[in-house]
Amino acid sequence: MADRPRFSAQTLSVLAALEADPTAWLHGYLLAKQTGLASGTLYPILIRLAERRLIEARWEDEQPAGRPRRHLYRLTAGGLVAALTALAQAAPKRRPAARRRLATEGSA
Amino acid sequence: MDRLTRMLAGLLRCLAGLLGEHRRDWAHALLAETDDQPTPSARLAWLGGGLWLVAREVLMNRIIQALAFVAGAVGLVWIAWPGASTNSATPVNRMYVVGTLVLLAGLPLLVRRYVGPVRPGWAPRVVRVGGYAVVLALIAATAVQQRIGSQLGRYFPVILPIWAMDVGFLLILAGYVAGLLILTSRRVQFTRRVLPLALGIGALTAGVLYPLAPFGINDTAETALHSLHGGPVVVADYLVLACFVLAALAVPAAVHAAATRLADRDSRPAILSPARQALLATAGAMATAAILVALFTTLTIALSPHHVTGPHQAAGDGICPTCEPSTIVIPTNLRHEYSFEDRVNGAGDGAIALLVVPLIGAALGALRGHLRYPPPATRPEGLPEGA
Repeated sequence: MADRPRFSAQTLSVLAALEADPTAWLHGYLLAKQTGLASGTLYPILIRLAERRLIEARWEDEQPAGRPRRHLYRLTAGGLVAALTALAQAAPKRRPAARRRLATEGSA
Repeated sequence: MDRLTRMLAGLLRCLAGLLGEHRRDWAHALLAETDDQPTPSARLAWLGGGLWLVAREVLMNRIIQALAFVAGAVGLVWIAWPGASTNSATPVNRMYVVGTLVLLAGLPLLVRRYVGPVRPGWAPRVVRVGGYAVVLALIAATAVQQRIGSQLGRYFPVILPIWAMDVGFLLILAGYVAGLLILTSRRVQFTRRVLPLALGIGALTAGVLYPLAPFGINDTAETALHSLHGGPVVVADYLVLACFVLAALAVPAAVHAAATRLADRDSRPAILSPARQALLATAGAMATAAILVALFTTLTIALSPHHVTGPHQAAGDGICPTCEPSTIVIPTNLRHEYSFEDRVNGAGDGAIALLVVPLIGAALGALRGHLRYPPPATRPEGLPEGA
């Protein structure tokens, strides 16, 4: 029971993207690019993580020229701990998939 | 393609208005990043995801809830509205149906103005839906019980004091619904696990107490009281009553202690103080136990009316104790039926238990809270600093 992963694979990929630089504020499009998730999958995950207070969200402070202000996200202190724990727990399961992906990329 | 993108973006912006305040930001966040997508097809896919997000949220939060409420309302009307014109419970039951539906539909709008909408997360929503289901089921079961117990309508007239009691019952239920809405609202923040723990203990208590007296403790209490005045002593009745009294004292103490323990460790600023959390949790646990016991016993009476026991009211001479005027004599051929209906009508613990039990919880919770968190000593007027 204790070994049961608390997050789905997609949520783990979002946590991994945010955990890569915990101090940086990332926006949704960047997260979608890094994780390969569609907006309809990514945003419900972000909403859930924000409701569990694992990430914090804010709008850009200043209005940039030529585009609307972006919504930015980063891990909270609790979120960083949860992300590191979940990623560490998931690492053995993720490694074969990662190895397969690397092998595919290497052969291409 | 650009025109389609603009149309979809406009549609998404409009639909975002249907979302709650805390969800609207997310739809706008998604919209703000549409132009970052490199190709028109990627923009369409991005907006499609946004529409999916909004549709799912709206479906989950509004339409499914509205449909569930309509289904519950239709079920209540179907069960509780019918009744012969000769049955004296028919007008009371119809008043229950209308009153309950008005309360359940109107109270959220009123309560929302003061304590905000439902708290995010699945648990508060489940508690609200469960609470509504319990209230609807209780009213439906009460209507059936009263219909069975008032078929000889002219011998069970609904006089003004009885109307007042029925309205009082609805007002008590209004208090329960308001409490449910407040405890699950956004501005009343509990430490995680406090509310599920309290409601869980309340439900468990109901599950333990109900089998001890499936038709309510009225009859048991009357027998015990009768034994004090020279009647036969039934030890089982005393044991059942002792269990109820023990639960009334032990459950508030246990819930208060557990809630205090959890809340004391939580220092987040938006959370209620531990004393308030423990008080609300204690009253909530007792209210949960009371309404579930009321529901289970009323259902049992409504489904098995012929198993209800109790004193035969009709005197040997057939004088009707519930009639108005009380000198009416029940015909011999109706006395057995009258006796059965009177027992069914009088079974269950009624509104008093629903009113008193949460108050016991609140009082014991307040007492324990006062002992654990004594108010700071006030300095007597005129005494200098440091004295």
